[in-house]
Amino acid sequence: MAQASMLTEVVQKFVTATPDIQGAALVTPDGLSLTSVLPGSMDEERTSAMSAAMLSLGERIGQELSRGIVDRIVIEGEKGYSVMVSCGDDAVLLVLAAKEAKQGLLFLEIKRILKDLAPMVS
Amino acid sequence: MTREKLGGFISIVCFKGVITGMEEALGERATSIALISAGRTRGKNLVTELGLAGSNPSLEDLASKLDFALGENGTRLCKVDKIEDNGDTIKVYTHETVCSAGEEQGSSRKCTYSMGAVCGAIETIQGKRYRPKHTESVLRGGTHDVFEMSMIG
Repeated sequence: MAQASMLTEVVQKFVTATPDIQGAALVTPDGLSLTSVLPGSMDEERTSAMSAAMLSLGERIGQELSRGIVDRIVIEGEKGYSVMVSCGDDAVLLVLAAKEAKQGLLFLEIKRILKDLAPMVS
Repeated sequence: MTREKLGGFISIVCFKGVITGMEEALGERATSIALISAGRTRGKNLVTELGLAGSNPSLEDLASKLDFALGENGTRLCKVDKIEDNGDTIKVYTHETVCSAGEEQGSSRKCTYSMGAVCGAIETIQGKRYRPKHTESVLRGGTHDVFEMSMIG
């Protein structure tokens, strides 16, 4: 696995360079933070555990309800989106985006960063 | 509210019922994440209440303090026997963990809440962060439930 500083650099760049992205966190499948760039009001440990648990629960729902392999979990709230996706077998990526974000572009940007991050965390 | 007749302890059977019920509804992994996270918070709060946060005692002293807080004189979550430092990782040797209690020999059950509590306590005492893993089990031929904790920052 790449050093935490390298992961932080990639995630930081993703958050600052992509319009409407408000934060991101890369966490282990068991819910520990690898790196995060989150708004100051958010608790990193809790956010990491919630993201990994949520993705796992979504995968279970996909299996139990015969929905196949889960691409992503999206929570759409009045203030924006939280998107959780697998980053290979070794990490989960959480992305926070503003309400104004275009979903198609958001998912495309997430797919791009996953390509960069996946080899770094495997 | 205190329980006048029943006191502060519940049966392991009921605690295990909570775990297996959560596993049934949420799946093993999501349950494990939730319980490890809950354990970490418990461990963190416990050592803060005891005034040990940031105290960084010797590992022998740390094991003894954790055993006192979590063992037979404390909340009876588990017995903490010793802690070994192997550089970037530390190994915590425990037994009579609530997670392994009541399980058949050979069971694949892994410690979650107990491991999280021990990890959260040590993290708060030392001011470091670890990724814990249950590496040896009394249910699978081990003499102890061993939690190996790798430093992550």
